[in-house]
Amino acid sequence: MNTESKTRTTLLLLTAAFAGLAAIFLANPSVIPPRQNISLVDTNFLDRSTWRRSYADLVKAKEDLSDFDCYACHEKNKPPPLRFDAEQHLIVPKEHPDIVMHHGSHERNNNCYNCHNESNLELFQTRDKHELKLADSAPLCGSCHGPTYRDWEAGIHGRTSGYWDRALGEMDRNLCVNCHDPHSPKFPGRKPAPGPHPLRGSEPKVAHAETKH
Amino acid sequence: MDRRSFLRTSAVLTTGLAALAASLKPLMEMEGFPTTERFMQKYYKEMMPADMDKVLARITNEVEQQYGLRPHVRDYKPMDGVEFVYCLNLTRCIGCRKCVHACVAENNQSRNPEIQYIRVLKMPHGSLDIEKAEHNYNPEQVPEKGFFYMPVQCQQCRNPPCVKVCPVHATWQESDGVTVIDYDWCIGCRYCEAACPYWARRFNFTKPEIPKEKINPEMSYLGNRPRRQGVMEKCHFCIQRTRQGKYPACLEVCPAGARKFGNVLDPNSEVSQILHTKRVFIQLKEEIGTSPRFFYYFDV
Repeated sequence: MNTESKTRTTLLLLTAAFAGLAAIFLANPSVIPPRQNISLVDTNFLDRSTWRRSYADLVKAKEDLSDFDCYACHEKNKPPPLRFDAEQHLIVPKEHPDIVMHHGSHERNNNCYNCHNESNLELFQTRDKHELKLADSAPLCGSCHGPTYRDWEAGIHGRTSGYWDRALGEMDRNLCVNCHDPHSPKFPGRKPAPGPHPLRGSEPKVAHAETKH
Repeated sequence: MDRRSFLRTSAVLTTGLAALAASLKPLMEMEGFPTTERFMQKYYKEMMPADMDKVLARITNEVEQQYGLRPHVRDYKPMDGVEFVYCLNLTRCIGCRKCVHACVAENNQSRNPEIQYIRVLKMPHGSLDIEKAEHNYNPEQVPEKGFFYMPVQCQQCRNPPCVKVCPVHATWQESDGVTVIDYDWCIGCRYCEAACPYWARRFNFTKPEIPKEKINPEMSYLGNRPRRQGVMEKCHFCIQRTRQGKYPACLEVCPAGARKFGNVLDPNSEVSQILHTKRVFIQLKEEIGTSPRFFYYFDV
């Protein structure tokens, strides 16, 4: 075989190979599964506000505080009586439908006057009878939850926002009741934000069986 | 050469060239082919302030062209006397994944395909066995009984394996402890992705897709400016926020207060207090000697 025919054969083979590739790419057979259509995440999951609003927030925002006007219904100088069921659980009066008493897993902290002041319902009281204003609830929580209160004061417990560098800006602090419902402080469960999606194909299977509540 | 062989050769050649061009179709479809300006750009550490200004102006224009809004791109430098540390309270984390999505929104990550810097692992109580971890949990309510949640993101190692393997020095550790990537210098070899023991680095296999209205216009050169196809990215402790004294986005959104961030060189910072007073804290895979700046702790 002379050089010329060798060159020609090589050229022909290369041409055929490229033409084949071109045909494949142009036809674009869908060997790859189509991309998933991933919907944007619900903007509620990007919300930075706290779960609850404290009395101090309401005062600051100059909102309606009539819910906290105890003596619109209660009589002054007459502590409202508490009623308990057979298992010594507090019966929450129907006038306070939003209150669910579940402070502590032992269910023994079930006396309103552990925190509220019976002789002046618009004040709190600690167990050693220190009186505190409604907006100043953190030391009340701290009177029992000492280590947590210490952590909160140091910024270790609880949410912070704003500036880590105090020289450049303020760090925003929250009160205990910005996150915890004082009558039922344990966080309620929440729906989690969507997990990761694969680029193509179906959603991955969850390895553990989900626990039911 | 006679007329016949000339015609034959040129016919073969034309067909061959056309076929070659057609076979290169996938390459032609690739976007983000570098402009001369970007191609001639200097290495980050060799850039003078005037060079950087030009680069920032170029990026501003590119982002405006692509997304139709004028961003505020800056090159935030590390602050003096600052070393960032992250602490995460495993007792408090409820696994709600809000941090994942706040991070995506803050850092202009691709929405489809999804690029996320934070992965939340669900693990059974009583062990810290990552083999038993689960990413794809989706119950009606979190937290679930018998499980705890462990968000994992870039650990900002003191001894980062990803930096060691980069053949072009496109990633390095800054003086405040943040390991950053220069997206204009990255060649996309993915060595760093392989080297990272925490699976913290992400690669842009396709052109990132971000809806125009979701772009965060506060951008930094080494941080959250939009990436192009073929480069790595990862968590950078939100340098566009933290180098201005703010908290990172994942911390701000955490509903449980499980995330704590600050300057470990300041003895009064939250992170210093945690490292001094909390009884248990771990660094993920500490036995491999990467020495993370990301600490997991428990309320004991």
